[in-house]
Amino acid sequence: MLFPTIDFAIFFAVAFTVNWLLDPYAGWWKLSMIGLSYVFYGWVGWSYCLLLLLTTAVAFVGGAWVNATQNERARRIAMGVSVGLLLAILGWFKYFGFVSVNLDNLTHALGLGRAVPLLQVGLPIAISFFTFMAISYVIDIYRRQLEPAKPLDFAVYISFFPHLLAGPIVRGNELLPQIRRRRDPNSVDYSRAFWLILAGLFKKVVISSYVSSAIVTPVFTSPTQHSAPEAIFAAWGYAVQIYCDFSGYTDIAIGLAMLLGFRFPQNFDAPYTARNLQDFWRRWHMTLSRWLRDYLYIPLGGSANGQAQTIRNIMITMVLGGLWHGAAWTFVIWGALQGVGQSFGHLRRTSRERRGLPGVADGPVREWVQRFLTFQYVCLGWVFFNATGTSQAFAVLGRLFSGWGEASPLVTPLLIVTVLGTIALQYVPPLRVDGLQAAFSRQKTAVQVGLLGVALLGVTTFGPVGVAPFIYYRF
Amino acid sequence: MSDERIPPHHVDWETPEQFAARPHAELPAPEDGRERAPWPRVLGIAAAAFAVWFLLFAPTLQHNAQVSPVGTRRTISLDITGPVAALSRGLQLSRIVSVTGRSNRLPGGTVGLITSGPRPTTTSTTTKPGAATGPGATTTTTAPPDPKEPTAAAPLRALIVGDSIGLDLGGPLQADLAGTGVVSAALDARESTGLTRPDYFDWPAELAADVKTAQPQVVVIMMGANDAQDFLGPPDVPYTSPQWNTLYAQRVAKFMQIAQSGGATVVWVGMPPMQNPGLNAQMSDVNAVVQQQAAQAKPPVTYVSTDHTLGTPQGGYTPFITNGAGQVVNVRTPDGTHLTPGGGQVVAQQVIAELQTLGYHIP
Repeated sequence: MLFPTIDFAIFFAVAFTVNWLLDPYAGWWKLSMIGLSYVFYGWVGWSYCLLLLLTTAVAFVGGAWVNATQNERARRIAMGVSVGLLLAILGWFKYFGFVSVNLDNLTHALGLGRAVPLLQVGLPIAISFFTFMAISYVIDIYRRQLEPAKPLDFAVYISFFPHLLAGPIVRGNELLPQIRRRRDPNSVDYSRAFWLILAGLFKKVVISSYVSSAIVTPVFTSPTQHSAPEAIFAAWGYAVQIYCDFSGYTDIAIGLAMLLGFRFPQNFDAPYTARNLQDFWRRWHMTLSRWLRDYLYIPLGGSANGQAQTIRNIMITMVLGGLWHGAAWTFVIWGALQGVGQSFGHLRRTSRERRGLPGVADGPVREWVQRFLTFQYVCLGWVFFNATGTSQAFAVLGRLFSGWGEASPLVTPLLIVTVLGTIALQYVPPLRVDGLQAAFSRQKTAVQVGLLGVALLGVTTFGPVGVAPFIYYRF
Repeated sequence: MSDERIPPHHVDWETPEQFAARPHAELPAPEDGRERAPWPRVLGIAAAAFAVWFLLFAPTLQHNAQVSPVGTRRTISLDITGPVAALSRGLQLSRIVSVTGRSNRLPGGTVGLITSGPRPTTTSTTTKPGAATGPGATTTTTAPPDPKEPTAAAPLRALIVGDSIGLDLGGPLQADLAGTGVVSAALDARESTGLTRPDYFDWPAELAADVKTAQPQVVVIMMGANDAQDFLGPPDVPYTSPQWNTLYAQRVAKFMQIAQSGGATVVWVGMPPMQNPGLNAQMSDVNAVVQQQAAQAKPPVTYVSTDHTLGTPQGGYTPFITNGAGQVVNVRTPDGTHLTPGGGQVVAQQVIAELQTLGYHIP
């Protein structure tokens, strides 16, 4: 079920009412949330619910197994088997088709015949997100950072519909305690929740859709027909499109959870104000960044074993992070670019520190130069991220060198204002927004209703007919 | 947020008294200045705001319902939006939305007319002796360049139109044609469209405009995936009725005429085999009508079947094919309907080969 639809609005009205009516009855509340979440997930196809159930069962049993095992070696094996099973499920659905075709072509080229069975496996939406949550649960128990959850608590934790489709990737120790406790039905933080939902809808439905159709899709569809300024605005435009799409989804998810009495971790923190790649990854898809850090980068050795190993670990983490988005060379290149950028930042910082200088150079001019260059580098990565193949990405980039002096009819004043304005908005201090939310909460009910109704009208009026699914649903 | 230790043999069920005795979940600090509210009030505010929006937006919602696929959902949507839309119009509230031009928007996920490839830079002319009108008198006439011998200066003008599967073909085909350096390829593809529901998207009008703009010498059409549905009347013509084929044939024939109106050669690419047996049977019906109309068109339209290029040797569905180089290619997306970029590439090469067979010298 997509958030910006009438179907979901009706679903959420029911879910909201059930949530608070059953708030005093823990067992019924949990059962109802599981049921509602499975309806939400199975709206497109019920068969996917079996996958969600399987992942839940594997992680729950795995967690219990790890917890019940005392011997450290046996404990490690229990964790490894459980995580391996979860990864196998993910790998089957996400990578089998890609790997089997390539292996089959390889065996054929080597004269070994057609050795690999070819099978097309449909990719269930959101599988990466709930698999990552399941893996973190098992590993946290292994690390003795988390107690095993009760069965129903765990089923709610994995399937809870506000985060189910595209995160945030919420940790067990963040959500499970909230599930165990009763929420206060008289203290709903509604002004912030409504703000987040409406802001998310506006970013997704209006800004992301407009930028996509005005510049990104035309330029990426036929790069050779567009000028260098159009190619530049397509790359910048995609940066705006994917930010508004993904952070818009996250805002809605956090707002919905807030209306149900839950708090989710933030996923974005003005990422295009970052001064280097490490800073960017502390601000972009923050719950994935910390997941990669805690469950991949640190187990690989992190930065504890010298410069060369640190860079190796950064590269492995970011390339695998790229592959997480999909089995394609464009995602590998995107991940590698992130790794190279972060490695460069790491080398520069350590080099400065050796000379007794602060890790990042200061001064207002330097800060802005760093921000500008970081944004351009991030946009370079986005070109590969959005391209259907490497040839399309290079065709778009090629226009930056050969497309000067041509007309740029797609670069309109509205597009320039939208793209640059959206980036500039990331520099607005959060306190200003908090003040608006507080002011809204003190208005009379009639005023609140009018403002919300008009805001909703604005979103639906200026958005396109039929909204494309969120980009991150497919990951 | 602190976690509490769980007893080893816990149960999920506890009495309401026990649960009520638990402290509430940790809440954010109250110094943020935001006032909280009981949940019934929040529900009331949201419901009232939704009602305000619904009243203002009802005419557009009614229009969206009217153009949606025929079925129970459409009927219920029309029953709900109809009276509210009438009230909205009666109170003149619908003017608020209509001033934005919202009702004129096109369906989402579309690609407008995008042209790729060389643009004509010079007018290629051939001077030859004219008919003598008297002793010693000569005149010169300018002959248009031969579209079958395109050059970079006088490229072949191609137009590709279609639905979402047409878009799957259109991207690779446009890129391949433009990449030859002698074809200027325009693409206009619209998701969720077809010839059955002009109330949703008027393809004949769109194609007429495209033909006027792009002045194509070749038109490639791949459309029909959404067409196996009822024609809306009055009177309605159900897909399963005998009249459906007649009416659909008329629409296809008219569409072919529009494509040919500027003298273009028209190639119609048939729908590929589908994984879903029901949809596969429907596409067979659609393909049969198109094939028949292609043969009857004057001049005939070239019909290109994808049953074997994208299917098994028996013409059945398969997600993988082996190409001429012996490489396995995944040609279909997991939905069993659309084409992967690799699948689009395969059909694009088939179309280019067909154009070469028709005498177009495309390198």
